[in-house]
Amino acid sequence: MPTRGLVARDLRVAVENKEILKGIDLTVEPGRVHALMGPNGSGKSTLAFTLAGHPGYQVLGGSATLDGEDLLVLPPDKRAKAGLFLSFQYPAAIPGVSVANFLRTARMAVRPEDLNPAKFRKLVFDKLDTLDMDPAFLGRYVNDGFSGGEKKRLEMLQMAILAPKYAVLDETDSGLDIDALQSVGKSINALRESDEGKDIGFLVITHYPRILEHVPADVVHIMIDGRIVKTGGPELADEINRIGYDGLREEVAAARA
Amino acid sequence: MPSGTTETAAALDFTPTSATLDEVVAFLDELGQGSPNDVALRREALARYEALPAPGARPHRGWRYDYANLSFDELRWTSGSVATATMPARPAHRLDDPDVDRPALATENAGGLFFFGSMHVDAPGNVDPRVTVLPLDGSHAAGVMHEIVDWRADKFAALATAFRNCGAFVHVPDGVQLDTPIQLVFATAPDDQAVFPHIVVVLGKNARATVIERHVGDGDPFVAGIVEAQAGEGAQLDYVVVQQAGEAARVMFSRAARAERDAQVRWHLAELGGALVRTVLDARLEAPGGRAETSALFFNTGLQHVDLTSGVDHLVGPTTSDTVVRSAATDRGQGRYVGNIVIRPKAHGSDASLRDDALLLSKHAHIDSVPALEIAANDVKAFHGATIGSLDEDALFYAGTRGIARSAALRMITLGFFEPVVSRFPGEALRDEVRTALDRKLDDATEIDG
Repeated sequence: MPTRGLVARDLRVAVENKEILKGIDLTVEPGRVHALMGPNGSGKSTLAFTLAGHPGYQVLGGSATLDGEDLLVLPPDKRAKAGLFLSFQYPAAIPGVSVANFLRTARMAVRPEDLNPAKFRKLVFDKLDTLDMDPAFLGRYVNDGFSGGEKKRLEMLQMAILAPKYAVLDETDSGLDIDALQSVGKSINALRESDEGKDIGFLVITHYPRILEHVPADVVHIMIDGRIVKTGGPELADEINRIGYDGLREEVAAARA
Repeated sequence: MPSGTTETAAALDFTPTSATLDEVVAFLDELGQGSPNDVALRREALARYEALPAPGARPHRGWRYDYANLSFDELRWTSGSVATATMPARPAHRLDDPDVDRPALATENAGGLFFFGSMHVDAPGNVDPRVTVLPLDGSHAAGVMHEIVDWRADKFAALATAFRNCGAFVHVPDGVQLDTPIQLVFATAPDDQAVFPHIVVVLGKNARATVIERHVGDGDPFVAGIVEAQAGEGAQLDYVVVQQAGEAARVMFSRAARAERDAQVRWHLAELGGALVRTVLDARLEAPGGRAETSALFFNTGLQHVDLTSGVDHLVGPTTSDTVVRSAATDRGQGRYVGNIVIRPKAHGSDASLRDDALLLSKHAHIDSVPALEIAANDVKAFHGATIGSLDEDALFYAGTRGIARSAALRMITLGFFEPVVSRFPGEALRDEVRTALDRKLDDATEIDG
């Protein structure tokens, strides 16, 4: 029985020949919420893109697996089919492709086995309702001319419809107002309470702890300069709130000295 | 030519010379279709053809085609009509499209005509009794025919005028608003033909109609045609061209429309087939309240070459125009788009928008974009925007993370690229037809994502 979980082992990654991730060890178990926090430039998004298979990220060493399956040998679509979902900080626009068409195509690609059109429609409308999204959204082109909040809602809508095994949320809270953050939180929690969502393991990447007020983390990791320097419980997020990353950086340096 | 009996048919070897024109004139006399005015006009047009320089005198140096060196070898010029009985049910495989099949032509449309090469197929159609849809002869459409397309200024329009051998006349009287389209179908005959269609569309005051001009078939024709449309006061014309001629076809059209007070002319153009395609698409806004919308696309695969020029002439104000062009090329496809907007001194208060975007899908594909705005009036709004680019890698990756494989994402993004044009075509059936045709072109492309 292979290890369950989204697992990185000594993962080292370069972008344009510059080493960004310097040996990441991380295990996100099914049904659990891991927060990955860190200052800008610490490598959080690099980890997200590497796991999802962005061609611009060069893996120097280590491994990344999903329930034992080697992710690093797979193209992005196969990783999605294996059960990985990435919510983008800056989702790309696809002009001319309607949200409805995109959702249907993605769902058929990831989970081709089920859902007649009527059931798919019901699923989409239920999820729209949870996210306080207007059904008119479906007729718009994917992320084309969307506000920041609309883009993040669409990411959450896709996650709910694809119901992955593991979801990496890259700065999903950035640029959101209180209302949008609340509906994003509500959508994640609704998914976690649903049958198909209860076993999803989350890696919530964030700069600020505020999304964790809506989606409580079981485990918090702090990443600085391409390394996870500290791992703890939810109280670690409170510590960041109190002393900031600079304070933590000093604390870590002091502990090493 | 189809087998069986033919009616009043004539055929001769075609060259663009006065010797051929003499033979044409003799044939027309024999058929009882010649008139002194017509003959004089044809001779003048041939003289213009000979005198005018080839268009695109300074083509891109990578262009394979040179209009000055077109070959007219082994082309046949024919005139007349064929009886229904001699018409094969499906003269070309693309006609198995139910929209194109003759029974559909007769039942789902307000009217239509079917041409096999230059031969009019003498098929009865249940034309809406309020409208006229007839094979064109010289007696129709005085004041419109030869008056809207400036054939004296364009080499191939002059050629088409000199050797006209088929055509259609569509008249929708004052106040008649049609719910179903009028279809004009040009199917390629099996032998190589020189086809010179001339289409005249006249909409009366407050009339409303959709005319669909189709080119289908697998032959190897040379087609040079003219379309002239007039939209009377308050009229609305949707004129659609779906060009799916065979892959060796050379198709050249000059199309122009004139909009009177408060009239709207909407061009919808999908250039999908042919080896060498040249299209000129003009709109003249001659009275206040006139509006022109131009929506055009081409997608060049293999060795296809499409050369599209659109023009909107704001003669008076306030008039409005909106031009949207999307072009893509892959394999060794080549294209050029020239977009002209002219706002004349009297066109105060006019509003013109021109937007063209090109997508290159392979490293050997090439598209030129040449926009030109000429504004001579004050107090006008004019917008122009153009892009040429390749596929958005961020979008491909994004779709990939949703489980959509690169090849499928590429198809989705490419089809989406055309959507701003396709979505302006009238009717969901027509839009789906164009989408399907674009999708098939992606199947045919050999060098995509390269």
